[in-house]
Amino acid sequence: MIGRLIELGKLLTPSSIPALETPESLPFDLMRVPGLGHLFRWRYARPLLQAPLLILSVIMILHGFFGPTLAPKNLATTLSWLHFRGLLVLVLLCAGNFFCLACPFMLVRQLARRIFRPRFTWPRVLRNKWLSVGLFILILFTYELFDLWSSPWWTAWLIVAYFLAVLIVDGFFKHASFCKFVCPIGQFNFLASTLSPFEVKVREQDVCTRCHTKDCIRGRREPVSDLVTIRGCELALFQPRKVGNMDCTFCLDCVHACPHDNIGILTRLPASELMTDPIRSGIGYFSRRKDLAALAIVFTFGALLNAFGMVSPVYAVEAWLGRVLHVSHEAPVLGLIFTFFLIVEPVLLIGLAAWLTRVWARSSRALLPLAVRYTYGLVPLGFGMWLAHYCFHFLTGLYTLIPITQSAIAALGRPLLGEPRWALTGLPANVVQVVEIGFLMLGFAGSLAVTYSLAEDDSPGRPLRAFLPWAGVCLILWFASMWLMFQPMEMRATMMSG
Amino acid sequence: MIQRRLPDPRVFDRVFGWGMAKWLTGLACAATLLMAGCSRPAESLPVVEIEHTISPEPVRVGPATVTLKLADGAGKAITGAHIAIEADMSHPGMSPVFAETQETVPGRYQAHLDFQMAGDWVVLLHVTLPGGKKLERQIDVRGVRPGV
Repeated sequence: MIGRLIELGKLLTPSSIPALETPESLPFDLMRVPGLGHLFRWRYARPLLQAPLLILSVIMILHGFFGPTLAPKNLATTLSWLHFRGLLVLVLLCAGNFFCLACPFMLVRQLARRIFRPRFTWPRVLRNKWLSVGLFILILFTYELFDLWSSPWWTAWLIVAYFLAVLIVDGFFKHASFCKFVCPIGQFNFLASTLSPFEVKVREQDVCTRCHTKDCIRGRREPVSDLVTIRGCELALFQPRKVGNMDCTFCLDCVHACPHDNIGILTRLPASELMTDPIRSGIGYFSRRKDLAALAIVFTFGALLNAFGMVSPVYAVEAWLGRVLHVSHEAPVLGLIFTFFLIVEPVLLIGLAAWLTRVWARSSRALLPLAVRYTYGLVPLGFGMWLAHYCFHFLTGLYTLIPITQSAIAALGRPLLGEPRWALTGLPANVVQVVEIGFLMLGFAGSLAVTYSLAEDDSPGRPLRAFLPWAGVCLILWFASMWLMFQPMEMRATMMSG
Repeated sequence: MIQRRLPDPRVFDRVFGWGMAKWLTGLACAATLLMAGCSRPAESLPVVEIEHTISPEPVRVGPATVTLKLADGAGKAITGAHIAIEADMSHPGMSPVFAETQETVPGRYQAHLDFQMAGDWVVLLHVTLPGGKKLERQIDVRGVRPGV
């Protein structure tokens, strides 16, 4: 078994991947697809994709505030917690970070920037992921505490709050400060897109070497006035030195700015960017970014925690904690559960694995850098869990959009789409469970491949010794994910009632 | 080296600048007006009191019996009503459960529901009174427990 895994690891090691630059094996370029390429090259492609999502957001907000108060009959809750999340992870898995490309919040920001010109640069102390890690945890926490899934009103407010946050942050601060340093959805997308098969990257490095204008980062400017007519990358990713999808919103500004048409949306091996540790434009070294590692931890362990919140055992744990601590309010109990899952458990597992790697493989790295380096190997497992969880809701509730739309239109006085067919739900749960297991297996295999690759790179003489502790962590997390998937579901807003 | 002809940036200002902002604001206002103004006017409904019991207590995953007693404002039993029951989970996307009631004794209606999952449920009563008037009631069934 281990021998096969090692073979798999070797197969997935970047050095063993055939060179993609040879004419016979040029990567597939989405920009070369007739029609699609023209659309993406069109300067207004992004607003065109953003506008429908903005209209949908407005409809969701209105329905959340004025529509039915029952979550399964409201567009705000159904579209947010079923369809958006499910589609988001599927698009990330099958293509790339295309949601950020079509992000409706950025369209509003663009319109607002015609009135308010941002003057400030984002504070140096906040130029990292710590704030967004905190916001990511906050969203997971409030989701559980206030049962956002069951409240159209709160869901609508969450969307409004998101729009306001974008306007405030990007109204004051230049560039894409919100996307890079604040947006929790964006951070989720950045990490998940490290596993996507497409990447925005240069086609030929030689062309960039000869380029003197560097428009992809500086933006294209008017010759006389020096005013920017087409902006360069707002997230400080310089294309020739950009590695992977981290921090890339697929906004295509670089594509539009490049005067040589040298940037495409190219295929690559998913997760390959996690297997190496080069210096990355706008990011630096992954292995030196503790904030990014913390984000990867929240992404991975938060996936399990988020799923744990919807199965029966969580209520038993909460009730037990409530009795032991003599508290009846959910917040402190939930706080303890979050502390355990997002701090205690990762510190124990990752700390122990890093220590074992250091001892067994005699790694020269210190404990913390070693832990940071290998933490990224857990991202595929986390994504597998997010996929399994979100696709369960998405696929089992796939058709619910139909009766809710029928009902929303009928509520306006004219049932143009007929009477709501509330019996329409989605795919059978037993069919979806097979898909879920597939995602978990895929995540597990991905994590093993990445950690083995890192082990091989880190300890060329003893890769197996460096790999085994991390394989153990992956196995524990995978078992935990599988166990969660087979638990009876229980979705309650009243956790502490017994 | 491939040089592409750039579009006139002013087009963006015209199409996606103020024009679009106005258009979107107008759309939001129109949608708000539609939601608020085109909804059905409130009808004056007769006073109907509905008492309900659900057994077993506490409710568990599996079959449950919903018993409803309908009475008018004076406490007189309402007979001959039609009550359709729909039970939804508080989480969107879950399969709803439907049932029709039978009038077992005058003014007393009973239906059998099958709660398929533990958690919070909402039972909706779609009541059609003998005169044809319709009304809806909502019963929160919190914390349906896992089956034994």
